[in-house]
Amino acid sequence: MSISRRKFLGWMGAAGAATMVGKTATASTNKEFPGYPGSHGVLYDATRCVGCRRCEEGCNKVNELPAPDRPFEDLSVLDEKRRTDATHFTVVNEYKKTGGEAGPVFRKIQCNHCLEPACANVCFVKAFTKTETGAVVYNPNVCVGCRYCMIACPFEIPAYEYNEPLTPRVRKCTMCYPRIVKGQLPGCVEACPMEALTFGTREDLLKIARDRIENYPDRYIDHIYGEREMGGTSWLYISGVPFKEIGLREDLGTKPAPEFTLGALSGVPMVIGLWPVLLTGIYAINKRKEKIAAKEQSEAVTAAVDAANDDATQKLSASLEKAEKDKTSAIDKAVKKALEEAEKARAEEEAAKAQAEAPESAQAPEEDSEKDTPQEDA
Amino acid sequence: MMQKKAHVKQLAVWTAAAIMIFFAAEAVASVDTSTADEQPRADMITIDGMKTFGPLERASVEFLHDKHTETLKKDGKDCLACHIQDKTSGKLSIKFQRTEDKDRQTVMDTYHKGCISCHNELLSEGKSSGPVECAECHNDKTKATSNWQEIGMDHSLHYRHTKALDKKCETCHHEYDQTTKKLVYVKGEEGTCRYCHKEQTEDNRIAMRQAAHIDCVNCHRTRIAQNKSAGPVECAGCHDPKHQAAIEKIADVPRMEMKQPDTVFVKAQPADATDTEAIRMKQVPFDHKAHETYNDTCRACHHASMKGNLTGCTDCHTLKGEKEGDWVSLEEAMHRSKAGESCEGCHKEKQTAKECAGCHGSMVQTATKSPTYCNTCHLVPLVEKTEGETTPAAAETEPVTTETAADALAARVPTLETYPVEDIPETVTIKSLSETYQPVELPHRKIVLTLLKGIQGSKLAQYFHTQPGTLCQGCHHNSPAAVKPPKCESCHGKAFQNDQPYRPGLKAAYHQECMGCHKQMNIEKPASRDCVACHKKK
Repeated sequence: MSISRRKFLGWMGAAGAATMVGKTATASTNKEFPGYPGSHGVLYDATRCVGCRRCEEGCNKVNELPAPDRPFEDLSVLDEKRRTDATHFTVVNEYKKTGGEAGPVFRKIQCNHCLEPACANVCFVKAFTKTETGAVVYNPNVCVGCRYCMIACPFEIPAYEYNEPLTPRVRKCTMCYPRIVKGQLPGCVEACPMEALTFGTREDLLKIARDRIENYPDRYIDHIYGEREMGGTSWLYISGVPFKEIGLREDLGTKPAPEFTLGALSGVPMVIGLWPVLLTGIYAINKRKEKIAAKEQSEAVTAAVDAANDDATQKLSASLEKAEKDKTSAIDKAVKKALEEAEKARAEEEAAKAQAEAPESAQAPEEDSEKDTPQEDA
Repeated sequence: MMQKKAHVKQLAVWTAAAIMIFFAAEAVASVDTSTADEQPRADMITIDGMKTFGPLERASVEFLHDKHTETLKKDGKDCLACHIQDKTSGKLSIKFQRTEDKDRQTVMDTYHKGCISCHNELLSEGKSSGPVECAECHNDKTKATSNWQEIGMDHSLHYRHTKALDKKCETCHHEYDQTTKKLVYVKGEEGTCRYCHKEQTEDNRIAMRQAAHIDCVNCHRTRIAQNKSAGPVECAGCHDPKHQAAIEKIADVPRMEMKQPDTVFVKAQPADATDTEAIRMKQVPFDHKAHETYNDTCRACHHASMKGNLTGCTDCHTLKGEKEGDWVSLEEAMHRSKAGESCEGCHKEKQTAKECAGCHGSMVQTATKSPTYCNTCHLVPLVEKTEGETTPAAAETEPVTTETAADALAARVPTLETYPVEDIPETVTIKSLSETYQPVELPHRKIVLTLLKGIQGSKLAQYFHTQPGTLCQGCHHNSPAAVKPPKCESCHGKAFQNDQPYRPGLKAAYHQECMGCHKQMNIEKPASRDCVACHKKK
């Protein structure tokens, strides 16, 4: 089966157009990922948290993490703002309340288990997985230790085992994935004496959060942090003070992390499909240009040569004519001179005749040699 | 060589000492000034009168009024040094050395000439004086912190004024006569200043701030000049919190003489007088006399005006709402929980008091009210008219009731007690969860009696805590009031049950209830994180 050049280009063009149409359709349907149905999450209620650090203790226990430098009963650690690290998957920070009633407020930090996690999105070996339980889990067996996940996470959660020389891992909260698949509660939730942490399906948690806000409008800020932030997270927060004041970023927007790179990456198939067509086209146009140029050049050369030949012929005939003219005038001159001389001679002869006799035939050969010379020059 | 080295060393030591002394002196000086400035003041006035002529070219000037009054007094000068007196009324203009803001240049010159010339004069006399250079006044530096506090004419203060002025209400109260364009006194039409004088000057009604200073301060000043008892004339006298607290409070203020009723029925007025069917809700007998003592001003309820007939509220707030009432219907006007002027709004505010907040703080704020709750206030039914009674016109406009408001109020008996003390368990041992700690001994009776003591003085609380068990329901919620209510674990068990996702587990239920109440009632001990304060270690 033979494919004509025209047919092939037609197919390629259609393929390119199809990729563009597909992309437009995605944008226009307002498609979003609301999370796996029935997936789990945790609701953190800042108005209930008393900052007792039992969650930290529970986390440490179930994840078999090394014993902390200072015991969990030591509340003086709350004097400074802490972050999660390779041996602390969750920490509680204390914030001073601005205005209103006295007393500090607290915030528990851990992985928020985004619905569309940035860490999983950037990982090129797929070490992170958003599971259907809601937990974002990590597979150390495939991890190459590039730590892109640590840079990508907008909440700065994944931590690296820098003191592990041979098999360093990225560590973070797993929402106690091994426990929740067994029907158990995450360690922190189970340890919380105030139920400041509520475990349940994300749908239920949103309902509970909305219910609390509606029932106690004076107690809560009318917002569920994590419902929409970064495309939604499985860990949700409600609070009586602005979220900014308990160290939660309010500048993240509602776009899921993968969407930031979606535009650039969706261009790839289009580039692959359309570039051969484009390049071939450019090549063909260039080729055709060259051909036309070559043709035009040769024509121009022919024309120039012809013109030069014509010119030369004209010049030659002109000069020949001139030579002929010169020759004729020279002959005339010579004839005239000869005639004059002959006249003079005849006059002198006539005069001499009277005196003495002179020869006439010597003049004639001289006349023949003068006539031959201009002809040889031409 | 050695000698030279020693010399250098000595020199260094002396230099260091000199530097240290210099800095120490500086530090002492700075500390001195800062402590002097840190005293909060109530007399800070921002001079930015030039604003009326466009944006300010230089920073506004912070002016300490009382400081000037004091200094001038020492020099034997009085208010007239800065304020111009009106020839006819004898009142002083509250503006500096002028009665009105003519134009930009004049106002600017008034301040510059007035202030600087006086400061220069004092300087030439070798006395301490104020700034004379531009930036010394026009800068963004704050000289002191302000503790300025608004002052209001409460019942006590009003009574003291009426007494001192021999009930000459016209001294302060006036109305504007549209025809003569003059201020006149109309007996019986007296109202709060703020009904007309708002935050900003509107039309020909000057702002409240101007009105108060022109009238109050001038009157006080005149009386002082006459050696009569008078109120303060300095800023701090009225606006400093310490001075305010020192203002004499009359405990038993006689009632205002405004022909107000002792008791009254709060009832709707039908738009059409013949449409008696329009009103179906029972009437509310209202103890006006008692409520006068619960509030500091009449304005607390009568927020817009006190003119008109005795029904007051229904003039503007009709069943459907009128433009005059900002489209707020009578139902909303009485029940809006966010509005302090409404019955329920004010009562809700009372619930935030420390004694009440422990129970009421954890109650659902937006819960639908039960019909019995409505009947606490809506007590007196309207008598349905029979066929024969329709003739008199008066009977049609006034809904007929069988009893007077006073009778209805007298018939209402407040609940003063809860269950007999011996029926209230003295301690309750919470042991069902005991793992790490020993069981908790809850001082149950002490808690009940404390809560009971909190409501004992409040008639409002007693009317609404209708049953002996109502108080118990603060903790023993969501079940009928009873001497022996169901146990906590009857409802609260394991946390996060699928069918009861809203119900806390038992452990959290205990902690939320105890700690929530302590937090609302500002009870510091036991602290939330001091586990062993309640739970003894095993």
